[in-house]
Amino acid sequence: MNPHPYLRAYLSGIFVPTFILPMLLTVFIVARIVLKLPIPIEQGLVFPMALVPVLWGLWNMLYLCTNARMHLSIGLHGAILPLLLMPAGALLGICLGVLAIGVHGVTWFRACEIPYTLIAPCFLAALAGYYLVWKYIVGFVNRVLGIA
Amino acid sequence: MNAHEPERTEMDRLKKLLQQALPPIEGEPEPSRDLWPAVLKRLDARPAATPWFDWALLAGLVGLAAFFPASIPVLLYYL
Repeated sequence: MNPHPYLRAYLSGIFVPTFILPMLLTVFIVARIVLKLPIPIEQGLVFPMALVPVLWGLWNMLYLCTNARMHLSIGLHGAILPLLLMPAGALLGICLGVLAIGVHGVTWFRACEIPYTLIAPCFLAALAGYYLVWKYIVGFVNRVLGIA
Repeated sequence: MNAHEPERTEMDRLKKLLQQALPPIEGEPEPSRDLWPAVLKRLDARPAATPWFDWALLAGLVGLAAFFPASIPVLLYYL
């Protein structure tokens, strides 16, 4: 008997972003309101706060649905997610005015300038980070909740 | 006729109804083998060692964050 496995997969998937986001939010509030940093962080918060946790949950539900047929490891499954998230986040960032495309690179939050030569390493770092987080944390929560 | 005869008949009828409502469990009520050794084996099993590839990825991530701190908020934006 395995009641509501997809609900548990969703809850397991949103565990990491919903655990980290309040801490990030605290840092953002301190930086923006207490330290008065002139960085428009709040404009970009909608993506990590609203969309990323939902996508993580849905991605874990997709893993549960396809695992029996595809036998892909959960780390590799998680590493595919940035391929969707990064273009979506960049597009939303441009629409919200937190990402500006320049001649030599892109500027996030009107403060963090990333040269084009660093975009590929950043992208690979995102893949590596997602691979590790999904393999060790989401996989662990999946096992605890009995859906691995 | 015994004074308790109607009561006993009623009890027998109730017993029969209950037996009809709760059918017997089909199949073997117990597992075919002893599962406790498997539980002990799983409890004693050591977690698999982290492969070197994962350590290398982690080192790469830390290195990128250390050499290019501007990438940290961008990476956190996607988390």
